[in-house]
Amino acid sequence: MRHVASQLAAHIDGRLAPASSQQIQEHLRTCERCQAEYVEVKQGMEWMDRLPLIEAPASLWTSIEAGLPHHQAPRRIPWAWLATAAAAMFAFAAYWLLAPAKAPTWEVTRTENSTQRISRIAPGQWIETSARSRATIKVGAIGSLDLKPNTRVEVIATQPGEHRVALAHGEIHASISAPPRLFFVDTPSGTAIDLGCEYDLKTAADGSGLLQVSKGWVQFEWNGLESLVPAGASCQIRAHAGPGIPYFDDAPESLKLALDQGALEKILSESRVRDTLSLWHLLSRVDADARGRVFDRIAALTPVPQGVSREQALQLDPDTLKRWREDLAWTW
Amino acid sequence: MFRFTFAACACMALALADGFTFNIGSPVASQDFQSKTAVFVFRTQGCVEPAKPQVSARAEGIVNGARQSVSLKVVTTAQPNVYAVYQTWPRAGDWIVSLQGTCGDARAGAVVPIGPKGFIRELSKFFPRPATPAEIEASLKTVPPGGNK
Repeated sequence: MRHVASQLAAHIDGRLAPASSQQIQEHLRTCERCQAEYVEVKQGMEWMDRLPLIEAPASLWTSIEAGLPHHQAPRRIPWAWLATAAAAMFAFAAYWLLAPAKAPTWEVTRTENSTQRISRIAPGQWIETSARSRATIKVGAIGSLDLKPNTRVEVIATQPGEHRVALAHGEIHASISAPPRLFFVDTPSGTAIDLGCEYDLKTAADGSGLLQVSKGWVQFEWNGLESLVPAGASCQIRAHAGPGIPYFDDAPESLKLALDQGALEKILSESRVRDTLSLWHLLSRVDADARGRVFDRIAALTPVPQGVSREQALQLDPDTLKRWREDLAWTW
Repeated sequence: MFRFTFAACACMALALADGFTFNIGSPVASQDFQSKTAVFVFRTQGCVEPAKPQVSARAEGIVNGARQSVSLKVVTTAQPNVYAVYQTWPRAGDWIVSLQGTCGDARAGAVVPIGPKGFIRELSKFFPRPATPAEIEASLKTVPPGGNK
C-alpha cells in the first residue's frame, strides 16, 4: 500500500487538485497509519496558525546591512564566532530531539452563571463541574466534550494518536470528527471507543451508567465484552460488569424490560427486524442451548446471508459473526 | 446468426442486471466513519461486473406550500457500491429523497421520506424504474410533520 503522509499537508491546505484530494480521502478511509498522521499534521498546522507574528527589531536590519559586501572592508573569517554558533545550534538540536516532548494541552471553557473562563488542561489534571456550572473541553483538533453539571473528568492522554479521558461520574456529550479509535472515554465499568460519532455518556460513582448514541456509532468494551451501539440506540452500563445488550430507543418497552431482566422468551417474542441489533449481541451472551433459538429468531426476522452458516454462528466463529453483523446493519 | 447474437446479448444484459435494486440503511451500515453524519446510506444490488451502476439522487420537498427540488451529491464510501446521502436541502418543510439508478439496461428507483429523526424506512418504496412524479407526490404526503433534523 502506498502511503500518503507526504501529501497530507497540501491536502489539508486545499492545494491539491480535486482528483488527487479524492484519492487521498479514499486512502484515509482504510489506512490507520495515515489516519494517525493526518490528525498529527492537522494539529501541527493549527498550532502554527496560532503562533504570534513578532516584528523584528530595527537593529537587526542595521546589523545585516553592516555585514553586506559594499559596507565591509576585507577581513578575516570569524572562526571563533562560527564555532560558537555551530555549538549552540548543536546543543539546541540535541535538546529538541532528546528532551521529553511536552504533552499537548486542551482548551477548557467553564461556564457558571453566564460567566465564562478559559484555561488549559494537561494529562493528569482533573476538571469537575458543580451543580451550577458546565464546561467544554476542546479535544485536540478532533472534536469537543461537553461536561454537564456535577461531572468529574480526568484527562489521560492528549497525543495525536490517542485522545483519552476518564469519566469518574456525571454526564458528558461527546462530538468527535476523526478516524475511528482516536478518542476514548474510560469509566469504572468499561471504555467507550469512538468510531466516528456523537453521544451522551452518563456514569454514576458506582460505575453504572447509560450510553446513548445520536450520530455514528460507538463501541463500548470491558474485559473483552463488547457492545456496538449505533445512532438511535442506547446501552446500559452495569457497575463493574461492563456493557449490557444495546437496544434501539424506539424498541418496545416490553423488549427493553426483558433485556434488562434477561427474559429470553420475551426478548425473542417482542423483537422486531430492527431489534436484530440486540439479538446479534445476545448470541454471544447466552448459553449454547439458548443460542440456537436466538439464531432461529434472527433468521425468521431477516434472511441469513450467504457465507453465514448456523453451525459456525453457534460456535461463535468471529468471521461469521462479523459478516452477519455487517449484513444485519442494513436493517438497523 | 444475427438473431442468435442479438438474443445472446439480450440475455447477457438481463443477467448482468438481474434484480437490480436499492437497499437503504443508517450510516453504520457503510462501516465508514466518514459517513457518520449522512442522513442515510444506500447500496445497489444485482448489478454484476462488468456493468457498473450509475446512481443519482434528488431531494423533493414542500416548503411553506411551495414545491422545491434539490439535486444531491451522492458520495461514495469505503464499501463498493455503497453511497451516502447528506442533508443539503432546507431543514424546514416536508422532504423525501428520490434515488435513481441504472445498470446496463436495467433501472431502479426509490423514494425515501425524511422525518424528524431521519429517514423513515417503513414508508420508503422501491421500484424497478425511477419513481414517477405521482409516486413522489404521494410519498411527500406521508412525511410526518416536524421538518427534519
